[in-house]
Amino acid sequence: MALVGRSWLLLIGFILFYVIYLLFGALIFSTIERPMEDKLRLEVEVLKQEFLNQSCVSAASLENFLFKVLAANKYGVFVLKNASATSNWDLASSMFFANTLVTTVGYGHSTPLSDTGKAFSIFYALLGVPFTMLVLTACVQRLLYPLVLAPVSLLQRSGLEPRPATAVHFVLLLFLVVLCFFLVPAAIFTKVEGSWSFLDGIYFCFISLCTIGLGDFVPGMQPEQKYRTLYLGAVMVYLFLGLMMMYLLLRTFHKMSDVHGLTTLLQLPRCEDSDADEDREPIVDHAESPQRQTEKGASNHLEPGSQVSYNTINKG
Amino acid sequence: MRHRASVAAPDLLDPKAAAHNSKPRLSFSTKPVVLNTPEDECDTRTTVMRWKTVSAIFFLVVLYLIIGATVFRALEQPHESSQKLAILTQKLDFLVAHACVNSSELEELVRQVVIAIREGVNPSGNSSNQTSLWDMSSSFFFAGTVITTIGFGNISPHTEGGRIFCIIYALLGIPLFGFLLAGVGDQLGTIFGKGIAKVEKMIVKWKVSQTKIRVISTLLFILFGCLIFVALPAVIFKHIEEWSTLESIYFVVITLTTIGFGDFVAGEKGGFEKPEYLDYYKPVVLFWILVGLAYFAAVLSMIGDWFRVISKKTKEEVGEFRAHAAEWTANVSAEFKETRRRLSVDIYDKFQRAASIKRKLSSELGINASINQEMTPGKRTLSANFCEDREGYPTVNLSLSPVPGALARNGSLYLNGLSPEYADRQEIAIIENLK
Repeated sequence: MALVGRSWLLLIGFILFYVIYLLFGALIFSTIERPMEDKLRLEVEVLKQEFLNQSCVSAASLENFLFKVLAANKYGVFVLKNASATSNWDLASSMFFANTLVTTVGYGHSTPLSDTGKAFSIFYALLGVPFTMLVLTACVQRLLYPLVLAPVSLLQRSGLEPRPATAVHFVLLLFLVVLCFFLVPAAIFTKVEGSWSFLDGIYFCFISLCTIGLGDFVPGMQPEQKYRTLYLGAVMVYLFLGLMMMYLLLRTFHKMSDVHGLTTLLQLPRCEDSDADEDREPIVDHAESPQRQTEKGASNHLEPGSQVSYNTINKG
Repeated sequence: MRHRASVAAPDLLDPKAAAHNSKPRLSFSTKPVVLNTPEDECDTRTTVMRWKTVSAIFFLVVLYLIIGATVFRALEQPHESSQKLAILTQKLDFLVAHACVNSSELEELVRQVVIAIREGVNPSGNSSNQTSLWDMSSSFFFAGTVITTIGFGNISPHTEGGRIFCIIYALLGIPLFGFLLAGVGDQLGTIFGKGIAKVEKMIVKWKVSQTKIRVISTLLFILFGCLIFVALPAVIFKHIEEWSTLESIYFVVITLTTIGFGDFVAGEKGGFEKPEYLDYYKPVVLFWILVGLAYFAAVLSMIGDWFRVISKKTKEEVGEFRAHAAEWTANVSAEFKETRRRLSVDIYDKFQRAASIKRKLSSELGINASINQEMTPGKRTLSANFCEDREGYPTVNLSLSPVPGALARNGSLYLNGLSPEYADRQEIAIIENLK
């Protein structure tokens, strides 16, 4: 019973902390962004006034026109002269769109306009998202051995204790990932996309690889983009690899905190891993599984961090 | 026991992955066992796939992307072209209607307006009663979309400071949200699991098989969850935001899978007159997102489970099928060989007898022995029939049913037609006489 109470308490604690975190973020964003927004709004007002003053256009018709332009713009249809060259839905862009859908990044720079497109997106996403997750997990599991377990054992063999070894390895991995998947791509993006600064590049990499995908920066949207198809393909590959590395990083972090005892402290699931197993079939024998189940069940009861689960309910 | 189902990296620190591991995991397995504890999720022992499987799945994903791309293109490009045409017509009409405006001025205005829109400022309408996009409730909502990795993008930070802060904020917030999601998912699973257990107890009384119970409970879970987390909010959004049904469902799905395009965002109507409820509306939407995400993650991981089960089952079935096919082929060919052998022996046997009877006849009727070789089919049958009539000669039996016993025991006897069961005693006597 104490365990149940504790897990509930922990959850409430988490929720509370989460809410506070959100409030804190809201406050900071508000303070930083609002003045800028006001300034911009003022500028646009001035612009509109100037335009109206020097022409015969009435305010109402201008409003009407602007409304339509903005509605079109929302869906990625630009009315400016030089922006109409590339379609948002040629094969490369459509594939890019499908990729953002399936990796759940979801930039939103182009979105389905037709009703059929929307309906299709729903089903496509419902199937494609777990599919992609499956692939990513599988790849990460394969990568785990050469990128994590082997180096850690190497470090251990060269004399380090297990705990510092994992920490050292994690820091090294982190450094490597940041270098290869944030700094270098950001530099490339700055070069290829004329209007992005280096900070914009890093911001874009981060927002994309966390699958947040705000969409304020999207590669390949410049009007005269050379080799657009190749470029978009490269970005897709980058996204996929980057996502994989992020998962790997998280997994390593989890293992490391396991070793360091953080997970039991916070009553989180532990990572039981066996290093040596590689080419195992993903088939769990019915024969072995009941005993594994009971094993786990037994250990669960003893584990201080075991939470009330469906398992225990059924047994009890 | 449940089969492995880590659809996503079993890591709590990533909300999507964590969510995929949260309960309930009503995977479709034949074992009548329960949902998994979080501890199980990290077990890598049974989940490392072969390279072949991984690359197969990878190619499938690429194929899926290509298929999606072609379909999207086919659906959307015509629509896009017509939109482009429409807006260009608008522009030209405007220029024609207002002759004092030249096109370059208009271009400039539109460009500025578009930039402003991207920055989040809506130049339409009067600026006096417009609400800021960065007031507390909107910023709160934005922070929520960042942490849940949905990222609508209708608002985004434009200052350098804002962006840097966004990065740091997300770095800390996403794992935090991951823990939360795991916790919520767990509780949700427990609550739901208790209900399912009760239902299952009832159903067990009806003596339904365990598999069916599992299927029923999975379906119940999907149905119930869809009702609470998808259908109900969709109806509410449709009513409040005045979207169509499809658009509401589209918004719900795109949000709960954390894709978050941002073409539809709840609470976006603020900008002109801000309704009073809007202050409470957005936080409630965030709360719904939290719980709905846990549910959706469970559904998505279930779908992933099914993929795994299907692939595993297909593999098994293919293996079984191959084994069966091999067995069947072996059986059939063995039988065929046997039959052929029997047949040939049979036929040889018949001919032997026919030959012996012919000899007998020829000796009786004085027919030249050389004619035996030139016997036409007609004569052959005649003699055979004749023999049949006279001696009860059994007809040549071409059935595949095994002859009772004879073949197995006395194959050699067949070769000269002297099998006791088969031959007529008289025949043997005649033949022996001839010899």
